[in-house]
Amino acid sequence: METTKPVNKYVELNMGPQHPSTHGVLRLKLLLDGETVKRVEPVIGYLHRNAEKICELDYYCDSLLYFDRMDYVNSLSMEAGFLEAAEKLLGIEPPERAKWIRTIMAELSRIASHLVWAGAYGLDLGMLTPFFYVFDLREQLLNIFTEASGSRLLTNYMSIGGVYQDFNDKIIYMIKDFINSFPKKLEEVFNLFVKNDIFISRTKGIGILEKDVAISYGVTGPMLRGSGVDYDVRKAEPYLMYDKVNFDIPVSYAKDCLGRFLVRYEEMRQSVKIVKQAINKIPDGPYFNPKAKKSLMIRLRGEGEAYGRTESSKGEFGVYLVGDGTVKPYRVRVRSPTFKNLSVLRELGKDVMIADLVAISGSIDLVFGEVDR
Amino acid sequence: MVEIVEEPAGKDKRKIFRVKKEDLIPAMKSFYDQGYDHLSLITGIDRRDKIEVVYHLHSFQKNEYIVVKTETLNDTVPSVTSIWKSADWDEREQYDMLGITFEGHPDLRRILLPEGWSGYPLRKNYDLSKVQFVNMDEDGNDYASFDPGDGW
Repeated sequence: METTKPVNKYVELNMGPQHPSTHGVLRLKLLLDGETVKRVEPVIGYLHRNAEKICELDYYCDSLLYFDRMDYVNSLSMEAGFLEAAEKLLGIEPPERAKWIRTIMAELSRIASHLVWAGAYGLDLGMLTPFFYVFDLREQLLNIFTEASGSRLLTNYMSIGGVYQDFNDKIIYMIKDFINSFPKKLEEVFNLFVKNDIFISRTKGIGILEKDVAISYGVTGPMLRGSGVDYDVRKAEPYLMYDKVNFDIPVSYAKDCLGRFLVRYEEMRQSVKIVKQAINKIPDGPYFNPKAKKSLMIRLRGEGEAYGRTESSKGEFGVYLVGDGTVKPYRVRVRSPTFKNLSVLRELGKDVMIADLVAISGSIDLVFGEVDR
Repeated sequence: MVEIVEEPAGKDKRKIFRVKKEDLIPAMKSFYDQGYDHLSLITGIDRRDKIEVVYHLHSFQKNEYIVVKTETLNDTVPSVTSIWKSADWDEREQYDMLGITFEGHPDLRRILLPEGWSGYPLRKNYDLSKVQFVNMDEDGNDYASFDPGDGW
């Protein structure tokens, strides 16, 4: 009697790019042994627009638009990241009031980004309820952004040498109102997560990322702090006004998905702490540098090179600008944190179940506008 | 003898070092041994007559950020994937965008653009007036086809 033997033990499976748990257009090539993933290879580029090339063809002030569209849930931090490099290159220092305004807006944007992540992560793990709570909270933030800039998501609020328009009393009132009510509501949402046994059992001990692996792959942000490295650009190389406010860097030594969740939760509370201090410290004065007023904006010339790095909600966001003395940048290079954080999925996705892979890739906090640029 | 030349700092006041292409691997190893355990960014710059490759290194212990530059005339640079794993995707991206061949890279393929794309978009001589689409032939291989329209 002949028995039929399996010809190939492993099965290749394609996941995405249109899979609901892939946060946009991530495609994963999986090699499966039963339901265990033996190898995972992320395939990216489905949202590629080559923003670096488009920026080369545009004026410095126009390039800012494309940075909004990179991390579209965290657009104000992206603008702060580009301006960190551009203002060094162009030699324009924003006035103090503008710096405080930018600090506040970048932190509010970080809260908005983490809220979206928490809601989407809940959806990944089969929890629908927190999604509505976090989007309700985020709506208050989007109202603040609308009041300040005129648009909800792609704000284009900051500009070279300052901000587009000044804070008025209504915005300050809205921000104060938000930071007073937010921590209590956030705790409600937090309890929805951590008091749920299914959430704990699906994240605790899943997706262990060792410290040396994380550093070797260039992982930054909450992913790195979730692996026990106490590192944040806001502390290590303070930009804007982060050296003038008190806040702590949350670190988790658990190295798993739950640790990364807790790091992000604590970061939101720290952001509220920063905004609370900053809103009382805004000095009076101009909100833009007259050297970069609107009529002069397209005449700004940059020569040399500058690398500016900031801490976006995903990790270290760096912009490397090279100028050749004309009104357009010669080379723009973006260090996208999620691009690096995603590359470590090849290590994290070995010998895990498919359902856990969804939990792991969700914990990276992927936004494809930024990975593919 | 590895020759590492320090240049005047850029506008961001970070130290800039220049090494020859042949000395890149030993120089990078010595930087790694000095504690630069985080390769933050690899950038290729098309200088028209040559390609400049810029490495941004960072040390978590020392909290320092330095820039290492090298240049090549024939579009090939040794790969640093054996030192930092994060170089893998960065080098693939620079190959994709500028056509720099990183010698010794384990899997040098396009990463953002489809495999059949023709040309390297971040080159200064890339023709923006051509509109191209990537299709798949009967064997499953990608190939580029061009649109006769005006383009950009």
